[in-house]
Amino acid sequence: MSAIAQNVTHKRKSRLGARLRISAGVIACFLFLFPLIWMVLTSFKEQRDIFTMPPTLFFTPTLESYVTYLQRPDIWKRLVNTVIVAVGSGVLSIVAGAMAGYALARIRLRGAGTIGLLIVLSRGVPPIALAVPMFLVARKLGLTDKHITLILAYCTFLIPYVMWLMRGFFLSLPRELEESAMIDGCSRFGAFFKIIVPISLPGLLSTMIFSMILAWEELLFALVLTNRNASTIPVAIQGIAGDTINGANWAALTAVGTITVLPVIVFAMLVQKWLVQGLADGATKG
Amino acid sequence: MVDERLTRASASHSRFARKFADLLSRWAFMVPAAVLLLAVLAYPIFYTIEISFSRFDLATFSAVEWVGWENYAHVLDDYRFWESMKVTVVYLVFALPLQIVLGFGIAFLINAEWRGRNVVRALFIIPMVVAPVVAGGLWRMILDPLWGMVNYVLGLVGLGPLDWFGDPTLAMAALIIIDTWRWTPFVILTATAALLALPRDVFEAAEIDGANWWSKLWSITLPLLVPIIAATFVVRWLGAVKMFDIALAATYGGPGGATNVINLFIYEEAFRSLRFAESAAMAVIILVVTMVLTALFLRGSRLLEERY
Amino acid sequence: MKHTMKNSISRRALLAAATIAAALPTSFALAQNEPVEIHVMANEAFSNVIQSSEVVEFNKHYPNIKVTVDGVPYVELLAKMMLDATSPTPVYDVLIVDDPWTPQLAEVGALQDLKSAEMAGFTAADFDWADFNAAPLAASEWKGVQYGVPLRSNMLMMFYNRTLYQKAGVPEPTPALTWAEYLEQAPKLVQDTNGDGKVDAWAIDTYFVREPLTPTIWQTIMNSNGGKLIDADGKPAFNNEIGVAALETHKKLLDFAPPGALAHGFTESLQAFRQGTVAAMFQWGSVYRSSAVDPKTTTLTPEQVGIQVLPAGSVGPGAHRGIWSGAVSAKSEKKEAAWTFLQWLSSKQGETWRTNNLGTFPARKSTLAAKPESEWLAPVFTSLQLAYDVAAKGEMWRIRNPRSDAAQQILADEVGRAMAGRATAAEALQTAAEKIEKVLN
Repeated sequence: MSAIAQNVTHKRKSRLGARLRISAGVIACFLFLFPLIWMVLTSFKEQRDIFTMPPTLFFTPTLESYVTYLQRPDIWKRLVNTVIVAVGSGVLSIVAGAMAGYALARIRLRGAGTIGLLIVLSRGVPPIALAVPMFLVARKLGLTDKHITLILAYCTFLIPYVMWLMRGFFLSLPRELEESAMIDGCSRFGAFFKIIVPISLPGLLSTMIFSMILAWEELLFALVLTNRNASTIPVAIQGIAGDTINGANWAALTAVGTITVLPVIVFAMLVQKWLVQGLADGATKG
Repeated sequence: MVDERLTRASASHSRFARKFADLLSRWAFMVPAAVLLLAVLAYPIFYTIEISFSRFDLATFSAVEWVGWENYAHVLDDYRFWESMKVTVVYLVFALPLQIVLGFGIAFLINAEWRGRNVVRALFIIPMVVAPVVAGGLWRMILDPLWGMVNYVLGLVGLGPLDWFGDPTLAMAALIIIDTWRWTPFVILTATAALLALPRDVFEAAEIDGANWWSKLWSITLPLLVPIIAATFVVRWLGAVKMFDIALAATYGGPGGATNVINLFIYEEAFRSLRFAESAAMAVIILVVTMVLTALFLRGSRLLEERY
Repeated sequence: MKHTMKNSISRRALLAAATIAAALPTSFALAQNEPVEIHVMANEAFSNVIQSSEVVEFNKHYPNIKVTVDGVPYVELLAKMMLDATSPTPVYDVLIVDDPWTPQLAEVGALQDLKSAEMAGFTAADFDWADFNAAPLAASEWKGVQYGVPLRSNMLMMFYNRTLYQKAGVPEPTPALTWAEYLEQAPKLVQDTNGDGKVDAWAIDTYFVREPLTPTIWQTIMNSNGGKLIDADGKPAFNNEIGVAALETHKKLLDFAPPGALAHGFTESLQAFRQGTVAAMFQWGSVYRSSAVDPKTTTLTPEQVGIQVLPAGSVGPGAHRGIWSGAVSAKSEKKEAAWTFLQWLSSKQGETWRTNNLGTFPARKSTLAAKPESEWLAPVFTSLQLAYDVAAKGEMWRIRNPRSDAAQQILADEVGRAMAGRATAAEALQTAAEKIEKVLN
């Protein structure tokens, strides 16, 4: 057998393997999506048709829940607030957290390890214990019901995550990268922003998506720290779920749930594209 | 002569300045995060510790009288606290490894180069985005013995119906399933990013050496991934310890406290019972326990990192 | 220049207010001179209705009082109210509080005594306190002081599906139905309605899950047998034979409830009933419209759905009170406007308007006695009046104490444990009594 023939069979085999792998991945994806398909189906149902026995798959769809809730001005306002808060805290935490993570992974700095450890350990405080005192401070400073308050509150739990995840990503980078850059005359900041950030883009982006999602669906702080002006979508959802007069309206809950998911999906799709491009750039440079 | 001395002095001065600037630039990476956290967290943590040792006055929302360990004694005397701790341990022991293994496994599967990869990866993050109340309620709907899809399908093949939320073991299983459904996507997200960032030349070299799929995975990919697997574990651990929203929405902590995880108990003590002092005492206990365990995990992950 | 303009505007507004006030048959004399804005904190479940309907109607009479209603999800409402009301300068002037909350808020000095000399000056001469039913009015009373007026009244009632009762050949419930009779009928109500050999209808669904409202079912059974939650000294009085028997009855209901009922609470029992799956449901009266009238939410019709008090024990039938009351924040600087708003909502005129246009349950005897505009409300009101009387007689409400929510949570835990079979009824009540005694004192 010639080397070429061997190579061909090897390739064919690996192509089959890849196909198997991909189909297994798609099946897993479908399993994860099933409850969401159910969510979208439910959102098009009349309330009467939701809890039928046995469950109904075929029904006359109605847009009523969407129409009703998209007409409510508070839903739009809360959606905008959620975007502001998620983007604000996502960006702030990725900048501060990634720099701290880099310091932990790559910069020799006495005491930094201890500080990093303390930052991670600060995540051990149950959030329930933090919400009330944070409100008391915000009230004293006249900062209740403001976006910035919520953004700062979210940063307290996002920064430790970002820092620790990014530390992991930075550790797996070859050390020669920034050494050569710094020999070339780059400053520490220059090396970080020009070399390290572009090549760590996949990690940075996935971490930022994760942070934004955490901020997007956070409920407890939003409930305690806001009243009206900075109130977010999860608070509205909690309100619909806690209807003590008529019972939870599941058509509305799933409709608002679907509406809340959409912007994140669109955002993730856009970023994914960018992510692969960024990687290609990084790869050619490296 | 004079000139020379001057230059030497300015040289040592500038060396000092450069050293100082260098130190400053090193610290500049750490300072923003540290200052921000200190500013926002210092008082709340101090407040929590203070009221955990005090009689709490609802009229002013502050500590009024030092009572020493009394609140702690109350908490430790309450069987519900210990039951919640047990429940939490069971949940963590099952949920965490499951999510890490499943997450990295699925990441390997979908990481092949194909056109749909980006779409699939984006779709995978949806479970995280759905509000916990909706997610919990959806699963309640799907698993219900009366109108639930799962039991209907089980019924078609002659099984069930399973009373998912009425049986303590099944309720815990349901809680773990829902939590795994929600948070495995985070592991997938991080793992795929880590896989993408792996240096390609190492694999090419291995391929030339004729390494097969398994040995590549075992001796190259996994060791390179150790830091990120460890980091993912720590982040997921810190998130899972705090889980209560899903339990609240899906099982109400029931049946009879079988899924009453510790943070749900703390939440109920504070927000439903308005017993902020007892709740703070529990929060401090949890803080200490979490800190110790996290420190152990960090140590473990550092050892792993050093080994590879 | 600027001054005169402002002056003329307010004069015009005043004039408008005066004309409207003169044109109306009521004699609320409190026409506000200057525009004021008040903030209301309410349950998100009805804050939207208040803002978009009740405030609009109120402003037809009082155009100078601008009302902003903020909704908070029910579960976090009490804590949030406490946080605001204990502030030196609270945001909210009006607090809409749930049944057991008045003692807790009054104890921290958050609520204004509505019958104090200060408030009497703002009270309309014809505001008829005596017309309120005793039970709903008592919800916002604490230690002899009246802190609120009933705005959204609710009682725990027995709903029944006439079709399923007829199919099973069981006589429809009446207020004379006893628990013993009901349990005797229950097995017959677990039936196969379409003849395919599988049971598809059950006798009952209600609260069984681990949550704070589940103990109200047990309590109602206990109350109707003469048992009490708390004795005259404020000590737990439920840890006895009557209490244990009542908890066993509550648990026995599970045998006739649909599979999975152990995890059922407010929403799930409601869904089962609306689908025509259960013959009876112990549930809050306010759900009548969405369970029997609105075709978008229910498969049933008003002809099919009966409503009455819960079955009787040795003392009489049972009910349980759940009243939302409007209260004025003690630290508000706009007490007159706040109280004017609450007075209008709870006045004969306001209550009648809200009942006829929004279907909210009234607390006044006169409103309940009048013929409602919607026909389906008539039998509901008859039962509601009976439920008020029964509840007032047997003190069928949750613990009145500044720590009542803490006690209720303990009951939720212990009743939940007994329901799940993780403790016997006697053990659960023993633990609950010990814990509650510690909490209340």
